[in-house]
Amino acid sequence: MTQRISKTKRFIMMNPIIQFFKYIYLSIKILIVVAGGHGGTRKKV
Amino acid sequence: MAKIVILGAGISGHVAASHLRRKLSKQHEVVVVSPNSNYQWIPSNIWVGIGRMKAEQILFPLEPLYKKKNIGFKQAKAVSFHPEGDKEVTKPYVMVEYVKGEDKNTFEKVTYDFLINATGPKLAFDMTEGLEPGKNKAYSVCTYGHAEHAWHGLKELIEEVKKGKKAKILIGTGHAKSTCQGAAFEYILNVEQELRRHDVREMVEITWIANEYQLGDFGMDGMLLSYGSNIMRSNEMIEMIFEDRGINWIIGAAVNKIEDGLAHYETLDGEYKTETYDFAMLIPAFSGHGFKAYDKEDKDITEKLFKGFMIVDADYTPRPYEEWTVQDWPETYQNPSYKNIFAPGIAFAPPHAISKPRVSKNGTSISPAPPRTGMPSGITAKLVAENIVDIINGKKTLNHKGSMGNMGAACIASAGFGMTKGSGVSITTYPIVPDYVKYPDTQGRKLGKTFGEIGLAGHWLKLTLHYAFIYKAKMKPFWWLIPE
Ligand SMILES: Cc1cc2nc3c(=O)[nH]c(=O)nc-3n(C[C@H](O)[C@H](O)[C@H](O)COP(=O)(O)OP(=O)(O)OC[C@H]3O[C@@H](n4cnc5c(N)ncnc54)[C@H](O)[C@@H]3O)c2cc1C
Repeated sequence: MTQRISKTKRFIMMNPIIQFFKYIYLSIKILIVVAGGHGGTRKKV
Repeated sequence: MAKIVILGAGISGHVAASHLRRKLSKQHEVVVVSPNSNYQWIPSNIWVGIGRMKAEQILFPLEPLYKKKNIGFKQAKAVSFHPEGDKEVTKPYVMVEYVKGEDKNTFEKVTYDFLINATGPKLAFDMTEGLEPGKNKAYSVCTYGHAEHAWHGLKELIEEVKKGKKAKILIGTGHAKSTCQGAAFEYILNVEQELRRHDVREMVEITWIANEYQLGDFGMDGMLLSYGSNIMRSNEMIEMIFEDRGINWIIGAAVNKIEDGLAHYETLDGEYKTETYDFAMLIPAFSGHGFKAYDKEDKDITEKLFKGFMIVDADYTPRPYEEWTVQDWPETYQNPSYKNIFAPGIAFAPPHAISKPRVSKNGTSISPAPPRTGMPSGITAKLVAENIVDIINGKKTLNHKGSMGNMGAACIASAGFGMTKGSGVSITTYPIVPDYVKYPDTQGRKLGKTFGEIGLAGHWLKLTLHYAFIYKAKMKPFWWLIPE
């Protein structure tokens, strides 16, 4: 096992309070990507 | 009055059925044909496979719901397609075979005005010698039944390790052309965390084996993503996670034969190797179901409908990787020969892979097939339903379009279960199929919308999606407000 994630980073990743805000942030960000719409890619002829 | 028949009640079939029922008046008939009487939320199979969820938590019976919502249901499987009818039946129909009850093994010609083929993939275990869920200590998590079985196998191994046995676990893809690397990725991280929870981690060697050229390819040619304030390649991110968790990896590997505790594979370098294991979970190849189609004279017209999966409005002209474009990907999922047939979700034939095709020194093609995850499956099913509603209401053109080259996807990969100890790798990608013309400097994707995050919030998100999508699938009040 090679430690690739620093202790500080791991603390941030697993701290419930910080992660609660991250959860809100991610939910909104994901919603933007998802609800951002979709469509075709071809030019109309 | 129109009759819409939907084959399959997975994510895409069920989404199509629910939207059609919501938008069409009662005079129109919506009928679902599916061999499985249950709806299953497949992404949560991962947690069934580690014993942290029961199968009952991720499924519910379809018939009572469909009865309540006025959707017809036939527990049967489609056998053949007759888009022009035949000498006796003038309307187009699908031949279905009942799989349960008094009618078991009897056939029916189910006529339709519109047909949605949402039969997903055939889990082609038979394409890899010896790969069969639960045989040779190799398991699958592709269905809730497989996942339950996998958990029994894993539990037994954990018991043996607790008694002092050293063990090897192998997780990844079980065929040169498998897809769905994401599911295997989730499972390996969940298994790793469970071994730690059971205090046996140091006794077990865990190895990832996959047909990907690089880690983090996921069948999508990998991606360049924003990670915090950094820009990272997905292979660097996954490498970081695997190293941190002490997971070894074998990539560019085509598993071609499974024996009891022994996986045979070929590498891109052309070498033939083996890997031993005490427990394996290998995703099989996904193939079409091998359906046949006939015209009204009973002449075989399978090539008009199928190319393995169903032919839709994609550009299937064979071209080298360098000439692939997003414009090759379908927009409406309509069959060009029979305009009243559609195939959303995994059921449509992709024009080509997304990952760069690679061939071993022996000529074996080793690279992932293109994934079609839950979100695009839902989105494409909804737009197919909307177009059918439009046609019924007199519109002449298909206005709802959704190419995977102009669609975002979120993949919340579970990295361990638990309200305080859990973790998830949240990745979003836009677009799913890279557009190298539009985004030439960022590997075909828009950076702000292609990002990765690791942490506890990811687990909460995945759990929220589990409850939200089961709520939506049960068509509870305002279910349609939850996006696909
Ligand atoms: C373990 C696992 C984890 C996953 N995790 C995620 C995730 O976290 N996020 C994500 O976005 N995606 C995930 N996916 C992918 C996602 O599950 C698929 O994209 C999705 O299920 C595809 O939906 P579908 O309706 O096209 O096919 P399916 O869900 O496979 O549904 C096909 C339906 O057709 C029925 N059928 C089969 N044969 C016939 C026949 N002959 N006649 C009639 N009906 C038939 C089947 O019974 C089924 O009801 C995961 C997949 C797996 C295997």
